[in-house]
Amino acid sequence: MAQVHAHMQDYEAHVRAVEEDLEYYRTKRLEPRILYLHRRGIVTLYDILRAFARLAPDAASAPPAGAASQDLAQRIRALEDGLDEYVRGIALTTIEVGGQPLPIEETRKERGDYDPFFRIAKKPHGGSLEERIARLEQDLRDYTLLLQAFTRALVETGAVTEAQLAEQRAALTGRGAWNGARIVARAWVDPEFKHALLTKGREAVRELDIPPGRLGKLGVAENTETVHNVVVCTLCSCYPYDLLGDTPWWYKHDTYKERIVRDPRGTLEEMFGLKIPPTMEIRVHDSTSDVRWMVLPRRPAGTEGWSEAELARLVTPESLIGVSEPLSPDQLAAAPAAPAVRQPRGY
Amino acid sequence: MADETGQFAVGDRVRVKTANPDGNPRTPAYVRGKTGVIAAVHGVIANPLDHYGLYPPLYSVVFTVGEVFGGASRDQLWVDLHEDWLERA
Repeated sequence: MAQVHAHMQDYEAHVRAVEEDLEYYRTKRLEPRILYLHRRGIVTLYDILRAFARLAPDAASAPPAGAASQDLAQRIRALEDGLDEYVRGIALTTIEVGGQPLPIEETRKERGDYDPFFRIAKKPHGGSLEERIARLEQDLRDYTLLLQAFTRALVETGAVTEAQLAEQRAALTGRGAWNGARIVARAWVDPEFKHALLTKGREAVRELDIPPGRLGKLGVAENTETVHNVVVCTLCSCYPYDLLGDTPWWYKHDTYKERIVRDPRGTLEEMFGLKIPPTMEIRVHDSTSDVRWMVLPRRPAGTEGWSEAELARLVTPESLIGVSEPLSPDQLAAAPAAPAVRQPRGY
Repeated sequence: MADETGQFAVGDRVRVKTANPDGNPRTPAYVRGKTGVIAAVHGVIANPLDHYGLYPPLYSVVFTVGEVFGGASRDQLWVDLHEDWLERA
């Protein structure tokens, strides 16, 4: 068992990531949407209550997934899987409701991005690792039940059709950080593609049979010998997630957002261990949502003659944001089991 | 995708308004009142998934970290700002 989970060295880091992400998706994605629809009488809390009563009757009393296991690594893994499921479920319900578009901007207002009055409190963390895991298991179960009841209420009230859900489910399978790895690898081997990517953005990725998405424009910031790019959204957490999948939890965290603009060089080194030589300029791209930025990292040394598929394995989600370089051939050799971009959380 | 490019061009110096109650809210507080240089012109971007209607033309405006937060850093902040927040400096 120790061997199987040898890669899960730092339990605390895994638990922290689940805590941060779970509260983020609850308070920023799901609950503002529920409150928005409730306030307007489109899908009310009472619709959700009725739908909940019709869910499997034992749903509310079943023990949280993974809680029976004694093995911490297994319980954390179950939490990560449950979180992925929760995030996917929220994305599934983030669609046009009642034939009315519900742009992201409305959600930003509803959740208090511009007015603290509307902010939904996040739960405080703390306690021993075991206590934190037990609390997460309970929270994840409760949050998932609300999501399930909400999803059911959307359909039962006629606000959303089964066909819409099926269409959204299909769209979600096409996004993910693996897209970013393939895009970067193609740009490293094909100058014409790189030029199209830098000038046309999203439209260029059709060549790779990747659904380009349509959340504004895709901005591509190319790293060079003299310029290192890094991406942030200080106002919320904009990212081309419809194309590249969701970002790691720290991207959405105030610590990163506040520090990276005030001291990019120090933040890259202290938070991510990335030392940029003093001769290189750092450019921080702060997004407004109309242009969503990704970094095109530099091709690592020692990869001459590599195939596109091999190169793609060097690209990490962090390197698409600009807080790390892609893996070196040696680093890849040290972790050969999986591609550098595991099918990422969420999508 | 609309392609109006607006009144500023790459290299123009612009000042970010300190407040713009009628405008969209997507301008970070730390650049309000600061002066920067247009580095990229993105035009009017149709983005119906994100917001109703069209926002004014968008620009990437460059500031140095030192100018915005003090200190000697010449590292750059490329902030995407809509035209209704900008005036010629």
